[in-house]
Amino acid sequence: MDISGAYDSILYDIAGGFSLLVLLLAGIVCIVWDIFENDEPVLPFVAAMACVVGIVWEVRNLDAGSSTVFYDSIRAYGLASYINITILLSALATVILSVPYLKRIKHGYGEVYALIVFATAGAVMMGTANSLVTVFVGLETMSISLYILAGLVRRDEGGIESALKYFLLGAFSTGFFLYGIALLYGATGTMYLPEMASGFIERGELTLLFWAGIALFFVGFLFKVSAVPFHMWTPDVYQGAPTPLTGYMSTASKAAAFAALVLVLYYGLAPMPVAAWQTALAVVALVTMVLGNLLALVQNNAKRMLAYSSIAHAGYVLVALTAGTSQGYAGAVYYLLIYSLMNIGAFGVMALLEWDDKEGRLQTIDSLAGIGFRKPLLGVAMGVFMFSLIGFPPFGGFFGKVAVFAPAIEAGYTWLAIAGVLASALSGYYYLRVLYVFWMRTEEQADPAVRARAFPVSFSSAAVVVTCALVLLVIGFIPYVRDLTQIYFDASVFATMP
Amino acid sequence: MLAESLFILLGTVSVVAALGMLIARNPVTSALWLILTLFCVAGLYLTLSAEFIAVVQVLVYAGAIMVLFLFVIMLLNLGALPQLEKMDWKKALGFVLCVIVLSQLVFIVATSLQLMPATATVAEDAGAATTIAKTLFTRHMLDFEMIGVLLLVATVGALMLAKRKFA
Amino acid sequence: MDTDLLLLLIVLLPAAGAVLNGLLPLMWPQLRRSEAAIGAVGTACVAVPFVLALVLFFQGFAEPYVGSFYTWMGVGDFSVSVAYRVDHLSLIMALVVTGVGALIHLYSIGYMHGDRSFWKFFAYLNLFIFMMLNLVLADNLLLMFLGWEGVGLCSYLLIGFWYEDFKNSQAATKAFVVNRIGDFAFLLAMFILVREVGSLDFAEVFAAAGEMTAGTLNAVVFLLFIGATGKSAQIPLFVWLPDAMAGPTPVSALIHAATMVTSGLYLLARMSSVVLMAPTVMGLIAVTGALTALVAATIAIAQTDIKRVLAYSTVSQLGFMFMASGVGAFFVAIFHVVTHAFFKACLFLGSGSVIHGMHHVEHDLRRAGYKDPFDPQDMRTMGGLGRFMPRTRWTYLAATLAISGIPLTAGFFSKDEILFKAFEFGYDGHLFAWFVWSVGIGTALLTAFYMMRSYMLTFEGSHRWPMAQRVHPHESPWTITAPLVVLAALSLVGGFIGLPKLAEKAGLANWIHGYLVGHGTHHGPVVEAAATAHVSVGIEVVLIVLGSLIAIGGVWWAWRFYALHELTGDERIRLRFGGLYRWWQRSYYWDEFYDKVAVRPVVGGAENAFAPFDNRVVDGLVNAVARTAQQISRMARHLQTGVVQAYALAIVLGVVVVIALMVR
Repeated sequence: MDISGAYDSILYDIAGGFSLLVLLLAGIVCIVWDIFENDEPVLPFVAAMACVVGIVWEVRNLDAGSSTVFYDSIRAYGLASYINITILLSALATVILSVPYLKRIKHGYGEVYALIVFATAGAVMMGTANSLVTVFVGLETMSISLYILAGLVRRDEGGIESALKYFLLGAFSTGFFLYGIALLYGATGTMYLPEMASGFIERGELTLLFWAGIALFFVGFLFKVSAVPFHMWTPDVYQGAPTPLTGYMSTASKAAAFAALVLVLYYGLAPMPVAAWQTALAVVALVTMVLGNLLALVQNNAKRMLAYSSIAHAGYVLVALTAGTSQGYAGAVYYLLIYSLMNIGAFGVMALLEWDDKEGRLQTIDSLAGIGFRKPLLGVAMGVFMFSLIGFPPFGGFFGKVAVFAPAIEAGYTWLAIAGVLASALSGYYYLRVLYVFWMRTEEQADPAVRARAFPVSFSSAAVVVTCALVLLVIGFIPYVRDLTQIYFDASVFATMP
Repeated sequence: MLAESLFILLGTVSVVAALGMLIARNPVTSALWLILTLFCVAGLYLTLSAEFIAVVQVLVYAGAIMVLFLFVIMLLNLGALPQLEKMDWKKALGFVLCVIVLSQLVFIVATSLQLMPATATVAEDAGAATTIAKTLFTRHMLDFEMIGVLLLVATVGALMLAKRKFA
Repeated sequence: MDTDLLLLLIVLLPAAGAVLNGLLPLMWPQLRRSEAAIGAVGTACVAVPFVLALVLFFQGFAEPYVGSFYTWMGVGDFSVSVAYRVDHLSLIMALVVTGVGALIHLYSIGYMHGDRSFWKFFAYLNLFIFMMLNLVLADNLLLMFLGWEGVGLCSYLLIGFWYEDFKNSQAATKAFVVNRIGDFAFLLAMFILVREVGSLDFAEVFAAAGEMTAGTLNAVVFLLFIGATGKSAQIPLFVWLPDAMAGPTPVSALIHAATMVTSGLYLLARMSSVVLMAPTVMGLIAVTGALTALVAATIAIAQTDIKRVLAYSTVSQLGFMFMASGVGAFFVAIFHVVTHAFFKACLFLGSGSVIHGMHHVEHDLRRAGYKDPFDPQDMRTMGGLGRFMPRTRWTYLAATLAISGIPLTAGFFSKDEILFKAFEFGYDGHLFAWFVWSVGIGTALLTAFYMMRSYMLTFEGSHRWPMAQRVHPHESPWTITAPLVVLAALSLVGGFIGLPKLAEKAGLANWIHGYLVGHGTHHGPVVEAAATAHVSVGIEVVLIVLGSLIAIGGVWWAWRFYALHELTGDERIRLRFGGLYRWWQRSYYWDEFYDKVAVRPVVGGAENAFAPFDNRVVDGLVNAVARTAQQISRMARHLQTGVVQAYALAIVLGVVVVIALMVR
């Protein structure tokens, strides 16, 4: 094997994977800096700057044609830039929200920001992966960082429970995932997604082995995006982890997993008959939407409620993927951006309104009665997030839901879309209950501890929450974003529908 | 012919050893079963002319990690052996489900054996350290670097969780 | 400057003002007291667009310019854009809206001084201007409808501005509901157009109008007209406007006299080429206008509340404008819209100044220990105010003369032109126009009479409020009187933009005719009915003299009558007309009629039939669903045991299912 000239295109590779490399660099800087200056307060700034640089870089490449870099390991430009922006925005918001939060609970360690950055690097790698190896390595980097972050607060049994459950079940599902990759390699002889597609076009047939591999491969993703019945870790882990990091788990890591799934479906499976995996996804989507929303109904804890809500939203994205069309994939990635904004905002508000000193594990929604009048900014922002999560026009969530349900109807899955709409109608109950408690109860009904507490809101946190809310207000009226997601997916590569 | 009989022999022994590891009640016995499994797998690598991986498998897993395991087991001094737990419906259900998954996979692999794409003949030096090194630093450059980061994350995380003083 | 940029600034500045005045004080309550800043921002956000509109005005735009900014919606071939159309018609309307609007904003700083919700008032007013500009500048019917609904909303908010008084919020609700009836017709017209034309852009609708069948065309024009009667307070939907006077007076001046209520006329003028193709409906429009003018003028004679007189007068003047539209003289309607904006705004603001003064009287009376109820809007307790409020008096008088049509004032030119056009249309062989013309002549006489009556009762004669020797009103501050002076001046000279045809002999062209309709080869945005027969110069002279005499006569008559009898004059009229007068006083029992025919049956039906159904069946169903969902949820909750082995079990179950579904 001759490797002279192996690095000829390295400059091009670096440009393509720029945001990933910047993140890695920032992570290493954080760790090394932390060795010399323990818990240096500049570290979160380094982490945030890495995200900002990445975002700026990717925004410039949003319109560029998609290509692959680093020996076809990852995708760059175009769709990859869009996905990276989604992930990086969540990461940026998480870093900014974490600083005052972690300082308050006295866990503002420098390593935390390094871990957030590394988790983001893993997410970026996974979300733009072009080969199965890359998906796996990215997934593991992200997951291990998150296992550690979930157990950050070790003095609280909730944090330990959270981290341990996440780790055990994550490792368990990774086993299936890895076995799926092995089967896929056995069935196709390649690790690269486009080669799977071209191999199918050449051979024109698929073995059972291949579909079994895909099934196990999906299981890994479905676990990460917490689809039913792989969801059970979600409420426990979300409840016990520090709140801004919970927000990160529910947005960046989910977005990355879904993005990787979209890439697999679009670049790897597009020419194959969709019916093979459609049924499986449709069933999972249905159960996920119904069970997620049903279980959210009776939750008294805001973080647990949001956990079930994020399960339900995974179901909505799966509806779009079930369609198996370019429109469906476009709708899914569009929804991911909007979903990330809504959830990071909602978790951000809950982080700011935390009073139980147990990372919000014990406080009920009812304890915050009438808080909207004391904290009008947070109250109004929460209103935007809740209405948007319901899918109420004119908020972003409405346009997102249209984008995920419409392709399913076009693909003949009307019953699934109807189920989704009914399920989201059900969701109105528990989302509006938050607003009811915030705005329509009096402060006298609040917990005495809440009344005694000041809930300071730093400027940076308020800026994040307000920005999320404002973007959700206008994003539906910016056709650019929606158009962008649609040009990423070329309808002509799909197998003709039967 | 030789390769096939070797494969069947090593495969059978590794599966039996894995079962033995699960069934053994004494943790030390269990660890020894695992070493046997790892050795068999290393042998399987050898039949695929992946010498480097076989050697690494023996050195790292069968050697270093298993020694660590045994040390930990002995230091913890697990005197009392775990009692057999009673079967309840959950365990029964778990067992049934696992059997179903296993039979599904066995069925799939069995039916697909003939349909596998003809594997290209493996090059003589495919398993050599040089070849692996060249691949790692070219084709899998990014993955390789990322695994380095992964290990760093694990180290940092372990240190942070273990060493930080908690209020 | 770039036209697109100018347009955006014109439209968005008032929106920015609404946001600034609405959101900042909402979030920081300490800002609510800084009236100067709020008033300055609010006024500037209307005054600057006025200047910018002037820039556009002087740039010409003989050819319409369409600036498209954003695709609002696109479904298949059908798409609606946020696109604004600059032509002579929209420019003139935009100038009136922003110009008069700016003056009224300035006025409001003084008028609303000390109000608890000062900031909210300016936020609403700015929002109104934004919506109104959308209405007049829109390039398609849907965007226009957005503005149409938006001004309706602002009208609702501002009528019910002092919502603590239940009467006011009732008036607001009434205005909103009655308007919605008209809006419904507007919507239906748009539905038909979407089906027939496939587009709501004006250019495409005009182009396709010729190919529509007569029935469709008549239906569209009729529905648009019904929409216009709602917003512009014509029979049968005029009942909301008098009640709308519950709002603060600047609102009455801006929304319910100068701008919003004229949007129906604007709609007809904008669609003039289509309206002209439906002559039957035009007859209906003209007759409706004439009847409304007459009915409202008679009611106005018997009103004692100064603002209600002006309200009915507005309805009556709007009736005149509809007459003009009905006889195909849309440009005259717009001409009257402009002059009416001047003098009616002046009258309303003057009445506001009077009410402001009478509030001080009331305040002083209460301090002096006066206990009986006192209505600062009741003309019966005014009288002789001219001595204390000279600027208000002279401006009010100027506007009164203008609306009466005293020669060379603004109202003279526009009203005369309407009557002349009606006459000409009748001369041309349309019989209904004779009826319209004669009703118009009679109404003109009544107008002069009741307007002079309101002036005499308010500003002349003896002081009729209690303790008149001890307390008396004061002139209002400059922010109130300055707009009055400007508007009064415009009321006097504003008519020269539309000289009668006679002036052509002297080489003076009718500017507004040339501007809106065009002359020679140039075609403006408004189309007029092609007249085949031309009225001779002699008849025109006679008509002008007749019009002048009627105005002068009415004014003189009222002046003599009320100078002599003061308040007892009303009593004399009542004795003379007997039962008829009572009908006038009660607005022809129109409200009672609607109450009996429409409101009670609907409310009764709702209470007796729908409410029980809703309570038991619908609510019951909803509650049952909610309860079932909660039950299932509680049961499903037990799956979440917290035991990690159980979770792993669920994962294995999932694996089995997914493999089974995928491998078949």
